[in-house]
Amino acid sequence: MSKVTPGSVIDRALRETASEPERKPKMSAMARRRSLTGWAFIAPAAVLIFAMNFWPMIQAFILSFKTGRGNKLTLAEPLWYNYERLLHDDIFKQTLLTTLLYLIVQVPIMLGLAMVLANMLNSPSLRFRGMWRTAIFLPVATSLVSYAIVFRTMFGTDGFINDLLTKLHIIDDPVNWLGQTNTARGVIVLGLLWRWTGFNMILYLAALQNIAPGTHEAAKLDGAGPIRTFWSVTMPQMRPIILLTVIISTNGTIQLFDESYNLTAGGPAYTSMTMSHYLYEVSFHRNPNFGYGAAMSYVILLLVAIFAAIQVRLGDKRD
Amino acid sequence: MRNFRKGAVLAATAAVTLALAACSDSSSPDPSGGGNGTPEGNTLTVWAWDPAFNIAALNAAADIYKQDHPDFTIDIVETPWDDLQTKLTTIAQSQAYDELPDIFLMQNNAFQKNVINYPDLFSDFSGSDVDYSEFPAGVTGYSTVDGANFGVPFDNGTAIDALRTDILTEAGYTVDDFTDITWNDYMTKAKDVLAKTGQPMLSGQAGSSDMVMMMLQSAGASLFDADGNPTIANNDALTKASEVYTQMVKDGTFLEVNSWDEYIGTLVNGNVAGTINGVWIVGSIQSAEDQSGKWGMTNLPSLDGVSGATNYSANGGSSWAVSSTADVALAQDFLNETFAGSAEFYDTILPSTGALANWMPAGDSEIYSQPQDFWGGDAIFSKVVGFAGQVPANNTGVYYYEARDAVSAALTEIVNGADPATAFQKAQETVEFAMQ
Repeated sequence: MSKVTPGSVIDRALRETASEPERKPKMSAMARRRSLTGWAFIAPAAVLIFAMNFWPMIQAFILSFKTGRGNKLTLAEPLWYNYERLLHDDIFKQTLLTTLLYLIVQVPIMLGLAMVLANMLNSPSLRFRGMWRTAIFLPVATSLVSYAIVFRTMFGTDGFINDLLTKLHIIDDPVNWLGQTNTARGVIVLGLLWRWTGFNMILYLAALQNIAPGTHEAAKLDGAGPIRTFWSVTMPQMRPIILLTVIISTNGTIQLFDESYNLTAGGPAYTSMTMSHYLYEVSFHRNPNFGYGAAMSYVILLLVAIFAAIQVRLGDKRD
Repeated sequence: MRNFRKGAVLAATAAVTLALAACSDSSSPDPSGGGNGTPEGNTLTVWAWDPAFNIAALNAAADIYKQDHPDFTIDIVETPWDDLQTKLTTIAQSQAYDELPDIFLMQNNAFQKNVINYPDLFSDFSGSDVDYSEFPAGVTGYSTVDGANFGVPFDNGTAIDALRTDILTEAGYTVDDFTDITWNDYMTKAKDVLAKTGQPMLSGQAGSSDMVMMMLQSAGASLFDADGNPTIANNDALTKASEVYTQMVKDGTFLEVNSWDEYIGTLVNGNVAGTINGVWIVGSIQSAEDQSGKWGMTNLPSLDGVSGATNYSANGGSSWAVSSTADVALAQDFLNETFAGSAEFYDTILPSTGALANWMPAGDSEIYSQPQDFWGGDAIFSKVVGFAGQVPANNTGVYYYEARDAVSAALTEIVNGADPATAFQKAQETVEFAMQ
């Protein structure tokens, strides 16, 4: 979940809030000059984004039609060979299912937990609020690699978790957490929850604090209890930020790499490996097949785009 | 307003120029002409991965080379093997060859694959003084492609069975009881040792095929036939090896752990009664100084009922490669005068690191027959030299790692209860798919 690009959502929000006045059929000299100034400001970033992001994406798209080992690449025959190959690749299908499983299990738990925590921490009666907020947000500031390695050590057969559970007499023999499919996947989900819940909580907290207190007071006067207030007053006002976090989380989970690579190394037998990790394996660890890797990356892009489109359609109720 | 706009335009132009500069092909030749860190012509940059082993050996080699070349310096960059492979791929793919060091270490099993995929990374040794007749043909074969040598063999991966003599005594056994035996015999004794002492006989990384690959090679079998076709399905030796492995895991006589560090931990913390691995494991075993005198060494068990089964195998082993942008003359001279030509050098590194030479003249040295106190006064190194001559050849090829990965995955499934024939058939298909 390292690369999060909420760009599209923010763009859209900006476009709609800064509603321009009707454009006149012909620009005055002044307006043209202003427009040029605008372009001059946008140009540097636009050129950089094109050169650093879009151009490589175009190249990767061309690459995905090529095949061969290392840098001896030729155009595939037929052109869609790599994409067709994906349909027959059992390991890829396995990684796709695993990634979707992480998505379905982890994102709802994480967002629910973040919402609960945000509401708790927003309560004015809570003491040491600053400390709690910092403590829950702190994991977001740790490096993905180091937290993954700490988790791996903790869940080792002779690791902290086994020691603790044995001392508490919950288990008799050490559990091989990372050596079994379900527990290994569970540890990855747990790691993701620990690492990312705070991030979403902070976003929710910010949104909660933007809710006008008057709406809550009005609900109270009308006799609504706290639960009713939450569902009927708070939640509707949180909708845009929930949409944003759902898209960010989905996006990040589909591209998940670090945890799979560092925490479980994809094991046992590829069952905790994510798509991005497999892409990396195919490109760098095995006989390098960059054409095939590029095709995989486009499938991931497509998935991200489809999920985001569905979510925007379902979740965005603005007119 | 006007000035402001000028500023903005200027900023835009600057950014565009910058972006273009970043994208432009930096094909201008490197004025220094050498690799990293060779401006004075007497420094070599080297990538290697094990501070207790190959890096220690490099430092010793540099000290010896300095005796005749006082200006010589070496810059060793510790690079784990997985990272090294990734770096090489990235450099080759982006053709940024000036990022290469002068010398890098390469796993023997990966040598063919890298030379064949990326010949531009390597300098061949045709112009060097290295005498390849002083290395066993089986070992130089790893780094020879189309008759050209691309590496100087370093360590020998001959497999050993290292045993905790104190634990065996407690269970009523000696090292001799584990010498020249078969796996069936070994498994029975391992169960007995576990029952009497509570110690498993072996440990290893779950999801690693090292153990099974050693068994496979001990019977002269491999994952590919002579034409390079995968032979994972219906492979008798592999099936038998996987049976032994899964049975031992079930019996509790083989302790599966999750990482390399945990594996080393089982050895130095005394959680197992022995280990089977390449002789380079000696360096790690000896790091537990409190266990001095408590270890013994012998050959491997052989597979039962498999034709060509022997008590000898190998795991690992690596060779030095000289990069294409290196100071080739200096790098090859350095390797030739140390790793391929100095008995003094091998005498220095052997006792501390267990780096058993592939360079045959080193084997005549007296130091090999010296008793090692750590190993109960046994002259282990001459023993291993004896084993080395009897190791059956291994067939690696370009797709070796794909096959190994597939076998590892199959083993994990078999340990978790899958049918071996089905799992290996699937592994065979995975490799065939990768080779398409």
